[in-house]
Amino acid sequence: MSRSEQPLVQLPPGTRGRVSRVTRDLTGRTERLAALGVTRGATVRVLQTFPGIVFECDQTELAVERTVAGSILVELDV
Amino acid sequence: MSCPHAIPDLRSTPLLRLRAHPLRIALVGNPNVGKSVIFGRLTGRYVTVSNYPGTTVAVTRGRAQVGAEVCDIVDTPGVNALEGPLSEDEKVTRDLLRSGGAELVVQVADARNLRRALMLTSQLADFKLPMILVLNMIDEARGRGVDIDAEGLAVELGIPVIEAVAPEGRGMGELRDALATAARPRAARARGQSHLHWADDTTQRFRTVGHVTLGRFREWLNRAVREPLTGIPILLAVLYVTYLVVGVLGAQTLVNLLEKGLFGTYLNPWATDLAARIPWAPARDFLVGQYGLVTMGMTYAIAIVLPVVTTFFLVFGFLEDSGYIPRLAIFSDRLFRAMGLNGKAVLPMVLGLGCDTMATMTTRILATPKERLIAILLLALGVPCSAQLATIMGILGGISFLALATLFGVVLTQMVLVGFLAARALPGDRSDFVMELPPLRVPRLRNLLTKTVLRVRWYLGEAVPLFLIGTALLFVLDRVGALAALASAARPIVTGLLGLPPKAAEVFVMGFLRRDYGAAGLFLMARNGSLTHVQAVVALTVMTLFVPCVANFLMIVKERGLRIGLAILAFVTLIAVGTGAVLNGALGALHVSF
Repeated sequence: MSRSEQPLVQLPPGTRGRVSRVTRDLTGRTERLAALGVTRGATVRVLQTFPGIVFECDQTELAVERTVAGSILVELDV
Repeated sequence: MSCPHAIPDLRSTPLLRLRAHPLRIALVGNPNVGKSVIFGRLTGRYVTVSNYPGTTVAVTRGRAQVGAEVCDIVDTPGVNALEGPLSEDEKVTRDLLRSGGAELVVQVADARNLRRALMLTSQLADFKLPMILVLNMIDEARGRGVDIDAEGLAVELGIPVIEAVAPEGRGMGELRDALATAARPRAARARGQSHLHWADDTTQRFRTVGHVTLGRFREWLNRAVREPLTGIPILLAVLYVTYLVVGVLGAQTLVNLLEKGLFGTYLNPWATDLAARIPWAPARDFLVGQYGLVTMGMTYAIAIVLPVVTTFFLVFGFLEDSGYIPRLAIFSDRLFRAMGLNGKAVLPMVLGLGCDTMATMTTRILATPKERLIAILLLALGVPCSAQLATIMGILGGISFLALATLFGVVLTQMVLVGFLAARALPGDRSDFVMELPPLRVPRLRNLLTKTVLRVRWYLGEAVPLFLIGTALLFVLDRVGALAALASAARPIVTGLLGLPPKAAEVFVMGFLRRDYGAAGLFLMARNGSLTHVQAVVALTVMTLFVPCVANFLMIVKERGLRIGLAILAFVTLIAVGTGAVLNGALGALHVSF
């Protein structure tokens, strides 16, 4: 994996990149996120990190809690 | 934009032809893409349209004439997926498709979000129904630099693809024309790909995204409402404006105009004069007595509650259509998590301020049974509906800000406490907080007015009959002496525990029918001086904590079953009376008089 892959939860507002993968768990989180378009290859832009994390994925604006943002891995645009 | 590659066998078996029953067409699509607007355009029937995902949580049906053919159009709750983990409102749509409830599917898509739409197209293709794809909000998409090759996409999918701006009616004629050429789409399965890969590939081939930013003001506003530093002052300003419109203009100015002016000066004296000609005293009293249909029932319903409900629905509709409400989830997520919910619950909670019964249905957007149960419980316990807010503001607004703050403080604390305990006592899990934020928009005046008029009409149809039935019931109870008996039976609780005048027992009887009806009774008691300020606060707090109304109770039973319905009713009543007793004791001990 590329060196610039980081979980969304650690990215400051304004960061742009692409989803490289979404960590799988048993709760169906991956599937739910996929249905909203958060899948490998989707472009993301971090908009806000407090009090919750808000980011734009493709053309959808999403608000998520930190654990969810932790399972989304992003490859940064250089 | 018809499809040049129409599938050959279509011409020999046109879909639109005389048949035993009307062709059933389902409008399916991601949440908040405008299915209900298209439904309204096709059928001429208005269903509530707002700007947040989850406005439609049940199926609505309507008739549409397409050429010579009559069709049944089905509006469905939005779905992000039809496979994998689904929320309850998504299941409603999937079950409809599975059970053969539709013979043709019109997929409505937000043109900005082609990729998500195509993932759904691909899953819909598995139902093997003829389809049409509508790319709605094509104007907004272009405004954001999104360009879609609709003709190419139609060829690729083998189905008609129509560009539309539904609120303006653009594309609706094309949609009607295309019904005859609907076909089964070729999607992932036909190509041996996964839904995701196919949607990714297809999006790349037929969509280009340019670099266009929103206007500077929109960009700023979008940021300002969600950043805490600006967002919290904005929230306070929104609440204050709501208070000005509902609490001052509605609950004070308009109520005075109607109650003292229209009813006090004209209608009630006229009705009394007219009734004086009726020779039989009980009939006279039934119309214009203490529990008279006109002097009590109509006065409560029209003069006291209607103005507030109307002003509230107006402000509320504006907020709904602006896309602001879902953004509150960002601020409230942490609090809701402590209560076993997540930020998404802000939607049913805020909608409860409009009507708890409708909001109880909206809990379907929550992901787990535990979350739905907690949300339903909290709605029943603490969230005052518009009609009730009306009377609360009318009474306490006239006393002092502290009185108002005490009531809301106690009710909120009680909700958090109950939520906190329920989160630990009930089995099950909460779900992840993942919420889609709809674009901020300037509400369309027409939709706002239509929605308000329909809601007011609904209030008149739903609440007024109950007010009248309630009044008639009180009249009868009073005649046969049961009211006095009830009041004396309830005296230990009402007078002893809560420190209220015995007459308040009657008001609580009314409160069981509808909280706002009971609260309207308190309103008059407060106005003619039979309640002290402390008593008003205690009585209203108890009333607010009651189950909202018979309709809400029936909705809980419908959603969760009789056993849970009764359990919630008993629990909430206990909490209401208990809280009232503690509050009464505390206010007495602290010598607060407001």
